[in-house]
Amino acid sequence: MKGIVFTEFLELVENKFGMEYVDDIISKSELESEGVYTSIGTYKFSEMVQLLTHLSEKTQLSINDLLHTYGLHFFSVLKNSYPDIIKQYETPLDLLNAIESHIHVEVRKIYPDAELPKFDVTNKESSKMTMIYTSSRGMYSFAKGLMESTFKHYGKEASIAITKLNNNGTEVKFDIQQHA
Amino acid sequence: MPNEQLQILQRALERERKARKQAESILEQKAMELYEVNQKLKVSNASLEELTHKQSSQLDGVFDNLLDAYILMNLKGEVIEMNRSAKQLFGYNLDFEHVNVVKLIYREDYQYAMQSYWQLINKGYFKDYKARVITKNKEVKQVHINAGLVYDASGKAIAAQGIVRNITEEYKEAELKKALLANLEKSNQELKDFAHVVSHDLKSPLRSMNTLIYWLKEDYEAILDENAKEILAKLSTKVEKMDHLIRGVLAYSSIDKVEHPLEKVNIQDLVSDIISVIYIPENIKVEIPKTLPIITGDRFRLQQLFQNLLNNAVLYIDKPKGWVKVTCEELKTHWKFYIEDNGVGIDKKYQKKIFEVFQSLQKSDHSTGIGLSIVKKIIDYYEGEIDFTSTVGEGTCFHFTLKKKHN
Repeated sequence: MKGIVFTEFLELVENKFGMEYVDDIISKSELESEGVYTSIGTYKFSEMVQLLTHLSEKTQLSINDLLHTYGLHFFSVLKNSYPDIIKQYETPLDLLNAIESHIHVEVRKIYPDAELPKFDVTNKESSKMTMIYTSSRGMYSFAKGLMESTFKHYGKEASIAITKLNNNGTEVKFDIQQHA
Repeated sequence: MPNEQLQILQRALERERKARKQAESILEQKAMELYEVNQKLKVSNASLEELTHKQSSQLDGVFDNLLDAYILMNLKGEVIEMNRSAKQLFGYNLDFEHVNVVKLIYREDYQYAMQSYWQLINKGYFKDYKARVITKNKEVKQVHINAGLVYDASGKAIAAQGIVRNITEEYKEAELKKALLANLEKSNQELKDFAHVVSHDLKSPLRSMNTLIYWLKEDYEAILDENAKEILAKLSTKVEKMDHLIRGVLAYSSIDKVEHPLEKVNIQDLVSDIISVIYIPENIKVEIPKTLPIITGDRFRLQQLFQNLLNNAVLYIDKPKGWVKVTCEELKTHWKFYIEDNGVGIDKKYQKKIFEVFQSLQKSDHSTGIGLSIVKKIIDYYEGEIDFTSTVGEGTCFHFTLKKKHN
């Protein structure tokens, strides 16, 4: 997993809960990296799972809630790093529609070893669309947060309904309805 | 500050420090990778440059060594590039002067040139443009041009190129040939007409002469002595020979004039008929060992052909027991006939001469010297060939071919 996901995560934890929380979840986890992350490195996903699990235990918030919050925050990271990509799309639905067909294609050019989730669009109309999220990481709540921030960025609102297609949430249906 | 908080800060600081070092080492590694990639790029760039240079110098060579003229012009007709042949052909040098192709067009071909130009612009090319051009020295040359548009990467036409071939010599030759052919046809016709007129005009006084000789013999029978009668007889023979000659000329000149229909001709019957009609001395036997074929042709001409050859064969036999053999062989596209005799034979040195008109190898009252030339002309007409093998004193074999299928 890309280092920026770790550094941004820990920064968010520090901002929301304080440095003690960061120190706590790192000390409780068994990390190959010893909790040393840089945005340009690559680390094991299992480290993120441990950090999330310990944060969830300490805050009594569910992992999905934490991921959702993180997703809401992470959109701004992407917006700062890749403003030109986002500018290419006129509506939030256009952007979501292009994740698989265009954006991830570009990402793979920069990071050939990136392990990306899949977003298959099964239906797209002018104000609604349906996509199937597939990823071994089951981070669909993170995706949902990102989507909500996307709509917010364009000054739009939307309801995003989630249907888990299996128990561990590695396959999830997103029904997105944009409000007028 | 509580001790615990200090320790948290120390740990955070330690992580940050390590993270910085890690980032530095990752960047160092990336920089190294970049450097290596850069080095590889430099090498492949150099080899690419070398390749490009090689290709462009090859192209320059081809371009300048083209025998045909090459011209590159912009869409307004201004010439941008000319190869060596083009410079030689048109006499212009782009280093010193501007040339617009309009200047090269021969005035009378202007409209044709403009039509071709529009075709080039609209269709993207023109082919087989044949017209005249004017060189810098005001020479007029006949050229053949194929041209096409040159496009930029976006598909927009930016120029036109043409391959110009100087066909002045070929053109002149073709014109000359045309004129010659027309001339030849005319004089051939005149010759035929002349032969006809002369033959017909000569025939009537000849007939009169014949009648007059007859009257002379009849009316003055009593007065004429033996010597006079002999002279008159000789005179008669000469008149007869003259008549033969005239008929020969007529036959020769009409071989390719009168169109006879093609039909199936039974050569066995034809030759048998000839044998029974022509004069054959008793000491000579004409044989047909194997039945002759049926071929397609014109009966009249085939009759002339065989009659002339058989007549010749019989005529020149000096042996007490003479023979003539007629045989045939089937080839792929032709029939091949042999007419063989045991006559006087023909010297090889006459080989070329004997098929020419009015060439007789022996002075004789019977020979007009037209016979074999008629034979040759008929065989030419049937796209065949004639030749002979002979041993002087032993005999001659004429062999000739006739094409099976006629166009």
